[in-house]
Amino acid sequence: MSSLTFVTPASVDAAIAELRTGEPGEVAVLAGGTALLFALEGAKAAPRRVVSLRRLPWRTVDWNGPVLTVGSTLPLRSLERDPELATRHPGLFEAIRAVGSVQLRHRATLGGNLGRASPASDLIPVLLALDAEVEMVGPTGARSLPVDRFVLGSRRTALAPGELIRAVRFPEPRPSAYRWQRVRPANDISQIAVAAAFSPSAGSWRLAVGGIPPRGVRVPEAEAMLLSSRPTEAEIRGAAERAARHLTIATDRRASEEYRRHLVETLIERAVRAVVESPKGGR
Amino acid sequence: MTPPPLLLTVNGRPRPLEGVPASERLIDTIRWRLGLKGTKDGCRTGDCGACTVLVDGVSTLSCLTLTHEVEGSSLSTIEGMAEDPVGRAVQEAFDRAGALQCGYCTPGFVVALVGLLRERGRAASVDELLADLGGNLCRCTGYLSIARAVALLQKEAP
Amino acid sequence: MIARPRPDGRAKLEGSTVFGADLDVPGMLWAALVPSPVAHGRLRSVDLSPVRALKGVVAVGAADLDALLPGSKRDPDRPIFPTNTVVYRNQPVAAVAAPTRELAHEAARAVRVDVEPLPVVSDLEEVFPEWPGSNAESSAHVAAHVRAREGDIEAVFRAAETVVRETYRTSSVHQVALEPHACLAEVKDGTWRVRTSTQTPFGTREDVASLLGVPEESVVVEGTWVGGGFGGKGAALLEPFALLLAKASGRPVRLAHGYREEFLLGRTTLPAVIRMETAVTSGRIVGRRVRLLLDVGTSLPGRDFATGYSIGFLLGPYRTPAFEIEGYAVRTNKPPFGPHRAPLAPQCAFVLESHIDHVAREAGVDPLAFRAAHLWKEGDTTPMGQPVGPFGLSAVFEKARAVAARWRAEVGPDSGVGVAVGFWSTGTGAGGEVRLRLSPTDLTVIQGEREIGSGSVLAGVASVAARSTGLPRDRISVAYEDTSRAPFDSGVFGSRTTAVLGRAVEDATRSLFDELAKRIGGAGPVRLVVDSGEIAAEQGATRRPVRALSNESERAGGGIVASGRHYGKAGSIDERKVEAGTFYPYTDFTGAAHVAEVKVDRATGTVRVTRYAAFQDVGTVIDPATAYAQVEGGVVMGLGTALTEEALWSEDGRLLNASLLDYRIPTLGEIPPIEVTLVEGFPGAGPYGAKGLGEPPIIPVPAAIAVAVRDATGAHVTELPLSSERVARALKLL
Repeated sequence: MSSLTFVTPASVDAAIAELRTGEPGEVAVLAGGTALLFALEGAKAAPRRVVSLRRLPWRTVDWNGPVLTVGSTLPLRSLERDPELATRHPGLFEAIRAVGSVQLRHRATLGGNLGRASPASDLIPVLLALDAEVEMVGPTGARSLPVDRFVLGSRRTALAPGELIRAVRFPEPRPSAYRWQRVRPANDISQIAVAAAFSPSAGSWRLAVGGIPPRGVRVPEAEAMLLSSRPTEAEIRGAAERAARHLTIATDRRASEEYRRHLVETLIERAVRAVVESPKGGR
Repeated sequence: MTPPPLLLTVNGRPRPLEGVPASERLIDTIRWRLGLKGTKDGCRTGDCGACTVLVDGVSTLSCLTLTHEVEGSSLSTIEGMAEDPVGRAVQEAFDRAGALQCGYCTPGFVVALVGLLRERGRAASVDELLADLGGNLCRCTGYLSIARAVALLQKEAP
Repeated sequence: MIARPRPDGRAKLEGSTVFGADLDVPGMLWAALVPSPVAHGRLRSVDLSPVRALKGVVAVGAADLDALLPGSKRDPDRPIFPTNTVVYRNQPVAAVAAPTRELAHEAARAVRVDVEPLPVVSDLEEVFPEWPGSNAESSAHVAAHVRAREGDIEAVFRAAETVVRETYRTSSVHQVALEPHACLAEVKDGTWRVRTSTQTPFGTREDVASLLGVPEESVVVEGTWVGGGFGGKGAALLEPFALLLAKASGRPVRLAHGYREEFLLGRTTLPAVIRMETAVTSGRIVGRRVRLLLDVGTSLPGRDFATGYSIGFLLGPYRTPAFEIEGYAVRTNKPPFGPHRAPLAPQCAFVLESHIDHVAREAGVDPLAFRAAHLWKEGDTTPMGQPVGPFGLSAVFEKARAVAARWRAEVGPDSGVGVAVGFWSTGTGAGGEVRLRLSPTDLTVIQGEREIGSGSVLAGVASVAARSTGLPRDRISVAYEDTSRAPFDSGVFGSRTTAVLGRAVEDATRSLFDELAKRIGGAGPVRLVVDSGEIAAEQGATRRPVRALSNESERAGGGIVASGRHYGKAGSIDERKVEAGTFYPYTDFTGAAHVAEVKVDRATGTVRVTRYAAFQDVGTVIDPATAYAQVEGGVVMGLGTALTEEALWSEDGRLLNASLLDYRIPTLGEIPPIEVTLVEGFPGAGPYGAKGLGEPPIIPVPAAIAVAVRDATGAHVTELPLSSERVARALKLL
């Protein structure tokens, strides 16, 4: 550990070059650093080099018409406090508020959260429900992937060697909601979380469930049962039951399988109703 | 490879540091290199808030921050709070409300609250402030006296 | 609610208070413990040679003890390092010290520990899936067995109208003081000196001396400021290792836990299985049987206080003509059971109150009327035969009942109100002593306890001194001295501090005033007054300044000194009722009655406490600010025990949630408004009739919440904590 080196590349190209040297696991990227240091303290990771992204120009929030592009190294708290976020993306706002604490969110980033791809991430379900795109840049240039093709499994992403997440793009504002169940309301991770959103452009719903390993997932079978922007109670209950039956869920020390299924059902109902009843929902 | 020298401004004073390993955490630099023990070592996993400091005025968990990552920043610790009118007001309110017992969480709370007042404005509502203090754990007081201290602080906000 | 600045407030707000982990001296080495990799195993070898090859690193193992401790008489039952068998995971098998934290951790990892795994017993219900048979006492798994009875319980049960039988399970909870254990040790000129975060400097001294096998006078313990104890810092833990490394290296050695170690090596409340059987005829309890199986980890046989003391809280404070109580302390491969705040009492109250509530409902009686009909009153005799002294339980209970009735009338859907009671006994330990030093301008109480947070030392003891001497509070301070200089005291635990040190202060005041009277030479009682900024003693019409009454050496030494002591005694029980083990009498009878209003999310089982009222039987309020603070803090700690705190163990003896993320204590956003009422008038064992207040406030909390949840939803949860999943199951949602 005392042989660790720390580099702060001044440009994107320099950062990419740093990543290409060294074996896998030897180089760690530092955005906010909260997850990295947590892993280092628990001796779960032992990189030889840390590449800090602090000098890269990615601490940005860009509203361009309907499209929101968030730079990957923007601290979550800055996004949380953006004056437009709570009204245009209420579900995303709620999910960010659920992450850790204010102090943590002063350093934690969207890019870091995505890159870590923890099954307990509070942000990935909302990104799925908002059809977010992950913009990457690497040795072969720039590319982007929808979130569900970016997050491949528990702590596994589609990032190729040398690639970095540059930004996350949200194509349109959506009435959305984020509902979770945890042991305590603050400074905790969720046993189950649900992100619900209605896409005005597609005229259809997005339902994503988080907290179940290996990764947050959308439930298209349940989404298909919500037939309009104002689904009936029967449709809502049907979608919730379908999702609860369909998902693969295991028992772990945080919650049993039966309880998690029950929570999926309950929280999907609540999240959908919250969207319908929200100021921009149900239209 | 010798790590580069590192400049931090700590409580208003420049503190150049040599030979800080890349793996060193800000909490350890503050406590052991700078000798400022007021910032407390609690959980080292970012869950208790006892290590809270201000980095360029922004509340930060020093246990989850590599020192080199904040090279060039301005750092404020509990020891610097009395030099700032907001810091003094927070300390005064906590003192009058008796909002502490063992004192281990106290520096973290004071610094976190000063950070929040900077961020939300001196006249932020009590509810907003309390909602944003969930990252600071206390085991002795049950938080009620801390909530009263915040209420007292804001009642007397200029 | 009264708030006032604390004497230690400014320093703590400025961050200048020095805790154990802050100590930093030249030449200091950083220490780390070498943990056993398994929870149970035959220790084949501990190879320190890889470590000894590292520069600047010192290592100590079992093989080094004779050389480090020549001629010592160490307790063979409590070896510092195991030599044959390891009995809990992470049990220290060696200790290392190095110039930096990183090197110390590296060195600890380099030690080669060869252990042959043996079967692990992790769950007491593996040992005793059913209530054990009569020969269980001789089982190697039984650390203690207690049994007492009155009457023929089987006959009573047969004749009764209704017999209600239930089984409850309670979880392991941790103290979670925010400050982990930390100490700094130095051995010089035959003195083993350690500065450490401890609730019991003298107790730690005794422990260290016995573990190292050295005379007590050769050990000096200097307590540092303590960042919370709650029972977890009441015995030596890290000090012996740090001292051995200091001896081996000739350098000061710092040993501190990280938070993970705090959990992994913590000695605390462990799981319990409790069977309650109550017989009722015509709305009255006619007999009870209580059976306790308590996991005590690797507590040594005979060294178990928990079972015999805690079991009393499953019986009282209710009258019963016939009873049988029996408890087994069951050994498992976990660290030893250790005291938490009111050890096992919140769990016992949860069980007892939930059960009594249930029994009343089964018997068709209003639960609150049922309680009222059976609560102990002064003059009653406890089931174990001790007369009940002044007891404010009925008084606080009636107040709680009145509030509960008001709240119930206002309550909305899915909300409910619960009342629960608890009782405690002001602790004594062996006893305590103080010295008073009276200078011309102030009075100092010299004593051997550090303030651990509650204010009982700095404010409580100072308040007693103000009252006993008549001097204004701002003329009084409390000073700390280490074990080589301070008068003896048992420690800050058991809700005993203000009571015992306070009585010692009263005793010292009498002795001081006697001395002043002698020096004045008049007749009649002495008074102290402040006159033109200086303290003077008055006797009748004569007033002499303290300055004039002091001799030259007193003026040089800081003042006139007087000593006082208090060695209290508890009452006694009727030993004829005891069939096995040891039961403990109470020093006094401290009551508490709480009211919880909860709202339950019927779809997820989540319980939120929306308001709370605590009524405490305090005897006399010594220092109001400290008293309110204790109650508020105790209630919120109880909230954690009730709803979110649970240490989870794997089958192979691993603590699964050893972090503050996964072991959840309450955060600021979860607390309800809490009304605190202190009820005076029923004197206890402390000065001016005060009763200890450190522990009573936590006791009824999980019980009140459980009873409220039942009131809100009908769900009867028989396990702690009331996690949302458990409530969901009780609501038949799954």
